[in-house]
Amino acid sequence: MADTAQVDLRTRLQNWLPKLVLAPSFAMVLLFVYGFIAFTVYLSFTDSRILPSYGWVGLENYEKLFRLRHWKIAVSNLAVFAILYIGISSLIGLMLAIFLDQKIRIEGALRTVYLYPMALSFIVTGTAWKWLLDPGIGLEHTMHLWGWTTFSFDWIKNSDYAIYTVVLAAVWQSSGFAMAMFLAGLRGIDNEILKAAQMDGASNWQLYRRIIIPQLRPAFLSAFVILSHLAIKSYDLVIALTGGGPGRATELPATFMYSYTFTRNQMGIGASSAVIMLITIAAIMVPYLYAELKEKK
Amino acid sequence: MMAIASTDTAIRSGRVTRTFLYLVLLLFALFYLLPFAIMVMNSMKPLDEITGGNMMAFPTDWTLEPWRKAWSEAQVGVDATGLRPYFYNSLIMAIPAVMLSTFFGALNGYVLTKWQFRGHNIVFGLLLFSCFIPFQIVLIPMARMLGIFGLAGSTGGLILVHFVYGIGFTTLYFRNYYAAFPTELIRAAQIDGAGFFRIFWRILLPSSGPIIAVSFIWQFTNIWNDFLFGASFADFSSQPMTVALNNLVQSSTGVKEYNVHFAGAIYAAIPTLLVYIVAGRYFVRGLMAGSVKG
Amino acid sequence: MGFLDIRNATKAYGSVQVLHEVDITVEEGEFLVLVGPSGCGKSTLLNMIAGLEDITSGEISIKGQPMNGVHPSKRNIAMVFQSYALYPNMTVGQNITFGLEMHGVPKTKRDQAMADVAKLLQIEPLLARKPGQLSGGQRQRVAMGRALVRNPDVFLFDEPLSNLDAKLRVDMRTEIKKLHQKLGTTIVYVTHDQIEAMTLSTRIAVMNGGYVQQLGTPKEIYDNPANLFVATFMGSPSMNLIDVTLRVEGNSVFADTTDAKGARISLPINASVNGLDGKNAILGLRPEALTDVDGSDARATQIAHVPNEVTVTEPAGSDTFVTTSFGGKDCVARMRADADAKPGERVTFAFNMDKAVLFDPETEARIA
Repeated sequence: MADTAQVDLRTRLQNWLPKLVLAPSFAMVLLFVYGFIAFTVYLSFTDSRILPSYGWVGLENYEKLFRLRHWKIAVSNLAVFAILYIGISSLIGLMLAIFLDQKIRIEGALRTVYLYPMALSFIVTGTAWKWLLDPGIGLEHTMHLWGWTTFSFDWIKNSDYAIYTVVLAAVWQSSGFAMAMFLAGLRGIDNEILKAAQMDGASNWQLYRRIIIPQLRPAFLSAFVILSHLAIKSYDLVIALTGGGPGRATELPATFMYSYTFTRNQMGIGASSAVIMLITIAAIMVPYLYAELKEKK
Repeated sequence: MMAIASTDTAIRSGRVTRTFLYLVLLLFALFYLLPFAIMVMNSMKPLDEITGGNMMAFPTDWTLEPWRKAWSEAQVGVDATGLRPYFYNSLIMAIPAVMLSTFFGALNGYVLTKWQFRGHNIVFGLLLFSCFIPFQIVLIPMARMLGIFGLAGSTGGLILVHFVYGIGFTTLYFRNYYAAFPTELIRAAQIDGAGFFRIFWRILLPSSGPIIAVSFIWQFTNIWNDFLFGASFADFSSQPMTVALNNLVQSSTGVKEYNVHFAGAIYAAIPTLLVYIVAGRYFVRGLMAGSVKG
Repeated sequence: MGFLDIRNATKAYGSVQVLHEVDITVEEGEFLVLVGPSGCGKSTLLNMIAGLEDITSGEISIKGQPMNGVHPSKRNIAMVFQSYALYPNMTVGQNITFGLEMHGVPKTKRDQAMADVAKLLQIEPLLARKPGQLSGGQRQRVAMGRALVRNPDVFLFDEPLSNLDAKLRVDMRTEIKKLHQKLGTTIVYVTHDQIEAMTLSTRIAVMNGGYVQQLGTPKEIYDNPANLFVATFMGSPSMNLIDVTLRVEGNSVFADTTDAKGARISLPINASVNGLDGKNAILGLRPEALTDVDGSDARATQIAHVPNEVTVTEPAGSDTFVTTSFGGKDCVARMRADADAKPGERVTFAFNMDKAVLFDPETEARIA
């Protein structure tokens, strides 16, 4: 009688194959993502300037970073941008989703129209809006030509208001995406619950406020997570729309990191700003992903 | 772009409310359409009609000259090559990167759902988190790495970058899709004598059309529209379309040829818009197929 | 040594043991049904026989060959799955012959085998279709065809009928039984449906909590359940359980309980029960052993007549199920369709004490 623990060759190979197949991707991600993160974290503690250098300086870069006015502006701009961008996109998205969910005849066409900006590059969006918002040639100019000569809309040239133009263009690009998330959430709600609530005498307004919107919690959460992730990463749009200006009025951490690392040759400080960005995103994403993974099991 | 199936709603509303609904919805449609539409319109005007005229007016003198110029003549960087070479750069970069990341994503999803091993969730968690890192955190080491391997400033380097940072998302899509794929089918095939790869080719892949479409659309849109990696790692000869467009638009020398800029922006937008319009519903359908059963 | 031997097979996931030392020997041509509630370990055991899950300890052998660690495709088994598991991208014909193809059988032989099986199962017109175009019953046939074509040593069925509607389920049940009688193959069949288990099997293993509770022929399992779990799991409506106190008087044993009004009644017990005087027990009696007087079994040696109050009657056409109360618990009697019983009235119930069984209320094991 053969040894019961013996496993034939094919089975043994089959046991190894899956791991072998997964290995290249896993190795690449380990190196290119986690290895690189480790390297950048390390650099943020060194005196690297134009090139990586390995002189350990402890927390000096972080201390410098948080003393820099430039960085403070970038962080406070991000706060304003993120709050408005997430808030307005969610609000518009939710409203459009609720409206579209009322058996609208041309729903398919409208959905396509609301969503198409998502397919565009931020550079294209920036190019279009930069010109629309240009007072000399865009919206303001048009209003003047139409006879409304007192109309003034020069936010993009005004350092107090320029950040709001970034919000406007970003909302234009991604509120349709928020709409799609909320619409999917609305379609997932059990219709019988709605019928029951109507039998209980709830008006449409009460129905939404008390029954439907509370059930959209997962959609709100996903929208928040994805939009905040996009906000923190925002780079292209600012470059194309305002180039960070006027002055530093629309500088964000992402543009700060790039300019300090590659044009100002302050790699140590650039790296430390990237680490701060990573920590911020991780603080939002990790709990969310953890909860999602747990739920799926 | 997610599960959007038409179902009966229990909600009823009056005529006045409905008129209001349609009004708001159409106004927003206008808000989303206008910027792009005006851009298209103005790309067909001679320059003096833009600088001197009303952007909302139709062209009095229709012309495709800006389109021709943007494509083959405009000054991008140092040379007056137009955007054409950069358009091709983007294609040569995007297509292999999309295919590679989709292929590996499919295999990973297959392993992570149907051949689970101890620790598979940790592997997936690490892959998943990699989708959401701010890419600024890898810019410096990646630049070094590409330099060391002689890939700096090359399309090959960009393909590698997009492939690596796309794997997380493609794995996520395929994993969720395959999770809904009945495991009994895999077991039946095992009893029938099919091995790891045979099951993948003969059983799973033929049923993966929708999710392959999702992965293609997602990856293509992201890679085509990428600016950060292109701006960081490409040189003049390998610049993708987005970077070239930005150079064209931001160039401070000479007269600002808005109409040429618009035509250029539209060239940059056409591939992803086409993908979205032609295949957008497969995207929605594919995501639904993955989520409905899951 | 049998045809299929399961010796001391256990299965544990980490520290959680889901299957405890299972010992079953199946002879060639037997139809063994593994039955039990969900989570009892029956599907795990089947998957271990198939090689889809490995064995933590113990051994499974087929035809004397140990199968531990042998790849599923090398065990010469075939399996019919609950969802049928038909490959959606292949036609019915391709589905049936895929296994032969994987085993390197030449195309002409494959086609011949497919034709034979299609004829046997009467699915010839379906061969070119895709599974998505088939009805539930047709898919079931194709799944069986895929198993049959391999001509395996052992057939494994994993709840194959649970996705069919009631009528079709009964038809397919008959069909599977016919097929077994015709082909004489060895079958291991998993189900949670005790009627399937009773009707199909030559032997049943009743499982619960990872243990085989009882292994025996359908009649043994039904008439002589080893414990309270087997007694209540098998049979529908399930066995009546009456709390009784045992009393020994000379050579006779009595089980004392109460009727619906709380008045004391005594039931004579056939078996001799030593040293149980004054002990509490649970008396089990199937509904068909509790009847109206005219409906009682003429061949029974001991019938006890006890009047009691009817709470509910449920006419089921062929029979009328009458609910009453003994020992404070609802009991169901199976009376003739035209038996005279109305709610609230007193009716005489006939206890067929030949069929009565006794369980220990603490250990739930059979006493007599």
